[in-house]
Amino acid sequence: MGYVPIFLIFLLAFLPALATAQNDAVVVTALRNPVNKSYKKMVEGEQLFNERREALAPRATLRFKLIPRKPDVSMDGVRLEVSSDSVDIPLKVEPDGTFTLKHDAKALKENARVVPNRKAGTMTWRADVRTPGLPPNVRRLGDLRMECEVGMESGLISDYPPGLFGWLDELLPRGPTYCHRDLPRYLYFAERPLWSVTLVDGERRKVLPVDRLYAGATRDPDWKDRIRYCDCEAIVDRTYFVPLGDANWPDDTLVVLEYM
Amino acid sequence: MKLFLASLALLSGCALPAFQSAERPLGPGEVRSAAEAQETLVVGETTKSDVRAALGPATTVDFASGYEVWVYRQPPVSPAPGAELVLLFDPGGVLAKMRVTPISDPA
Repeated sequence: MGYVPIFLIFLLAFLPALATAQNDAVVVTALRNPVNKSYKKMVEGEQLFNERREALAPRATLRFKLIPRKPDVSMDGVRLEVSSDSVDIPLKVEPDGTFTLKHDAKALKENARVVPNRKAGTMTWRADVRTPGLPPNVRRLGDLRMECEVGMESGLISDYPPGLFGWLDELLPRGPTYCHRDLPRYLYFAERPLWSVTLVDGERRKVLPVDRLYAGATRDPDWKDRIRYCDCEAIVDRTYFVPLGDANWPDDTLVVLEYM
Repeated sequence: MKLFLASLALLSGCALPAFQSAERPLGPGEVRSAAEAQETLVVGETTKSDVRAALGPATTVDFASGYEVWVYRQPPVSPAPGAELVLLFDPGGVLAKMRVTPISDPA
C-alpha cells in the first residue's frame, strides 16, 4: 500500500476553520456551523455505542469530549446546551471537557443542536470511550475503535463545508464503516505532547511509525500550509492514528502513550 | 567533537558517495543504518547542529512548544525491512529522546 497524500491524512479531521475564516462568535444560524453539532446525530452515536458495546468495549462507558484546539484555550467556564426553537437543555461539562447527553424527545423532533459558549475554531469534539482501571497513558484498542465508530456516527469530525471536499464524499464512506479500514485517518488526541505510541498484545509489542503521529506531518513537507485545515491545528503534537481495522490487533490490545 | 562528527559522517547518506555506490543513492533524510547512527548520538549532549552536520538534512516537524522531531529513514534492502531514527530536540536544540523503529508496513 502506498503512502497517501497528506490531504487524505487530514481528510476526516478536516477542519471547521474552513467554514469560518474568522473567529466569529457562536451563532446558531447555519446547519453546518462548525462550532455546534447535531443533537440527533449524537444521540444516534450513543445508540451505536449501546449496540456495539458488548463486541468492542464491554466494560467501557461513553462520554463526549470538547478538546481545546489552541494551547491557551481554557476549558474553565465552558457551558453547553441542547438548543432548538423551544428547547434549551444545559449539559454539565466536567473540568476535563467531557459531558453526556440528556435525552429529550422534543429536542430530537426540533432537530436541536448541541452548542457551546465558545467561538468557532477554539474547540473540537470527540467521543470518549474508557474502560476503567487503565493508567492515564494507556488506552484500549477496542475503546478507540468504538470512539471512531461513535465519532463518525455522530458527525463529530465531518463538519467541513459541503462541496469543498465533495470528491472525498465519494472516496470515503462517512459513517462508522470508515473505521474498519486498516489505516483510517481518524485522529486521536493524547492528554500531552506525544513521543511514541506502542501497541501491546501480551508479549507482542509494536512501536508505531512516526508517520502515525503528528497527523502524518512527517510525510508531508508542506504540512504547515495544510495544518490550519485540521482540527488538530495547534495540538498536532498530541495526535496519533492507530490501525483500527487491523484484525491482527485484538480489541484488548493496549495502546501505550509515551509523552515528550 | 571532530571525532564525533567524523564518525557520524560515515553513517550519513550525503557524506560518503563512494560507500553509497553499491546501493541506490540516499536521498535527503535517509541513512544507511538507523541503528548505527543512533549509537553515535548522546541524549542531553548532541545538538541539532551536530546531527545536521553529520547526517545531513532531516525530515523535521517543529511544534509551537519549541520542541522539534527529526526523522531519518533507513530504506529497506530486501529482505531486510527499513527503519527510522526519530530524534526529539528540546527548545534549546539539545537531543532529548531518540529511538529506532523497524518499519515493516506503511503508515
